[in-house]
Amino acid sequence: METESRTLEITILSAEDLRIGNKPVKKNAFVIVSIDSFNNKATKIDRYGGSYPSWNDKLVMDMPMQTSFITLQVKYCKGSSGGEKPVGFARIPVTDFIGGYSPETCLQYLSYRLRDPKGLKNGIINICLRLKEALHGCSSQAAAASASGIGLGIPIDGRRDLGVVTGIPIWSGYPSNSLSR
Amino acid sequence: MMGNCCSDVDGGMTAVGGTAPSTSAANQNDAADWYFKSRGMQGLFSQIELSFSATNLRDRDVFSKSDPMVVVYIQERDGAFTEVFRTEVVLNSLNPTWITKYTITYQFEIVQILLFRVFDVDTQFHNVAVKMLKLEEQQYLGEASCALSEIVSKPNRSLTLDLVQREESVPSIHSQHRGKLTVHAEECFSSKTTAEMTLKCLNLESKDLFSKTDPFLVISKVVENGISIPVCKTEVLKNDLNPTWKSVFLNIEQIGSKDIPLVIECFDFNSNGKHELIGKVHKSLADLEKLHSAREGENLFLPTLVGHDNQHKVLKSKLFVEKYSETVQYTFLDYLAGGFELNFMVAVDFTASNGNPRLPDSLHYIDPSGRLNAYQKAIYEVGEVLQFYDADKRFPAWGFGARPIDGPVSHCFNLNGSSNYCEVEGIRGIMMAYTSALFNVSLAGPTLFGHVINRAAMIASQSLAHDAKKYFVLLIITDGVITDLQETKDALVKASDLPLSILIVGVGGADFKEMEILDADKGERLESSTGRVASRDIVQFVPFRDVQNGRTCVVQSLLAELPTQFLTYMRSRDIKPNS
Repeated sequence: METESRTLEITILSAEDLRIGNKPVKKNAFVIVSIDSFNNKATKIDRYGGSYPSWNDKLVMDMPMQTSFITLQVKYCKGSSGGEKPVGFARIPVTDFIGGYSPETCLQYLSYRLRDPKGLKNGIINICLRLKEALHGCSSQAAAASASGIGLGIPIDGRRDLGVVTGIPIWSGYPSNSLSR
Repeated sequence: MMGNCCSDVDGGMTAVGGTAPSTSAANQNDAADWYFKSRGMQGLFSQIELSFSATNLRDRDVFSKSDPMVVVYIQERDGAFTEVFRTEVVLNSLNPTWITKYTITYQFEIVQILLFRVFDVDTQFHNVAVKMLKLEEQQYLGEASCALSEIVSKPNRSLTLDLVQREESVPSIHSQHRGKLTVHAEECFSSKTTAEMTLKCLNLESKDLFSKTDPFLVISKVVENGISIPVCKTEVLKNDLNPTWKSVFLNIEQIGSKDIPLVIECFDFNSNGKHELIGKVHKSLADLEKLHSAREGENLFLPTLVGHDNQHKVLKSKLFVEKYSETVQYTFLDYLAGGFELNFMVAVDFTASNGNPRLPDSLHYIDPSGRLNAYQKAIYEVGEVLQFYDADKRFPAWGFGARPIDGPVSHCFNLNGSSNYCEVEGIRGIMMAYTSALFNVSLAGPTLFGHVINRAAMIASQSLAHDAKKYFVLLIITDGVITDLQETKDALVKASDLPLSILIVGVGGADFKEMEILDADKGERLESSTGRVASRDIVQFVPFRDVQNGRTCVVQSLLAELPTQFLTYMRSRDIKPNS
């Protein structure tokens, strides 16, 4: 019997080389973890970390079976006025930690490239996560596929890997040679 | 034996003593250890004590039992054995347990061969000091030999060996029984509380306007008589007046206690070895812990010669303790004792750029005189060290970049020629499979690592799923630059969270500049095509070049990093030796 959602324990560890407008972020960075628009949690604010903040903040969230991505948004608070500005975001395909090399209930350490709202590279975020419940032995590919919420793909080349492609939007009026730093 | 053919400046600039948390030195050897390490001898240095006992020794004396003594020899680089230690003489026993222990420094990255000879000391010498005894005047009872790693990798750290006659290499059915010798190893430090600290300085004063300041710290402990003994030093940071160094790990028992006074000196690195003192502080570990919790800094000072009292010139530079935490740190040997293993896997490049194996200028040429080619040397040098840590000595071995008979090019085929299983038995098995594969495949191309890395990752992944206590080491030997850099990066990023380290050895004369990108020590963290970044640096790359004196040290420097990679993996996941 499959349950409708699983418990995800995600610890936001740290981030590296965060910038805003080409200058390093000075302070007050934090991260919002979103599974969907209503299911989000935020870490505490790191007041002193600057552009290399560390949180080590463990968040426990419900992750429905159909989830394809988890989004991490790094923001910072501008002083006491309370305004938040986005620094960067990363999208983690669920297949990176389910059905990958490590067992799902095993603590997995992952790191991702952050991109700012314009799509430029903006640092790296480090997390670790694990699922609390194991998926009870479904040997059938169909059951496993529906559990991870990804459509049953036809493997190319005999590979089991149902890889997910992450696209980076190109914005119009945007210089083509600044995609990479 | 310590292999110090590494360049002095590089060695002098690396952090020493306070990096690998399990580095421990017996108190009396601190300064000597630091001396060696500051000259670039990296690696895991642990002090081990060997103790000896024997059973069923031959009875040579007519009226009483033998009076045995053990003499220990170490094998030097040239193969000769040098005597290093003698136990005391136990009187009148064929099943002795000796009390005196031999302390030896365990170095992971080299094979330390030991020879033990047991002698019956003649009655007339019983009052002579053991070190004055002439061995040729004693009765030889037998000998045994083994590698130090064989002893420490046993679960109970005890190895029992059959004693044999000098001329035999293995006991035969004709050899008379000479008894057995048991060697037991203990790490010198039993307590392992370690303090981890991140130190930083602000506003260092530069010594003069024209030269840059390359600061590093030396932490010493002050013992009686005010003598200070260096404990560790940080890495050298280039041109930084507000440096933050990587964490240092100090074994509290090695220092003595948290209240023992420490001296932290900040030097400006000079490649001629005459480092200039920028400033220092006197603090104990307990003081540093307080500095951390109060988030305060301590001003550095310079001792001045002027004045009667110890006048100090207080500087505006300050030392801060960014991080301070204490943990119980298990050592690499603790994990071995807990049943953990290192599993060796090897992949060999069979691309056409190596040259026709039948011609002497090929990198794959099998010399009939027995001289090993670069591939064989690399396999042997890495394998002979790692084999002791692998319980079943069955090693997966693959080739890539060749066409097995009548087949398409394969980028991961079993070296043993089987289509079902990839393992071979022992280093000898690898050598035999390699030689036979050479004449059964057609060298082709291109050079792709992705398939081999994925295969190794699958093996590591399956082991993880079964909760096995294994850490995998994949050795890839290649002559050229890879064609699928991005695919390789993707495979590495995916595998970066597994208990796996990858050693890449480049043979031949190619320009391996691109390969260095894979080694995060020399470049940035690897990024996959999907935006995922490697969570650990699991790759080390080194070009394999023969050194004039016939013994390479490059492979050793690769291997020296392994215990630290293993420990980092275990500690970050809070996996304990006895789990």
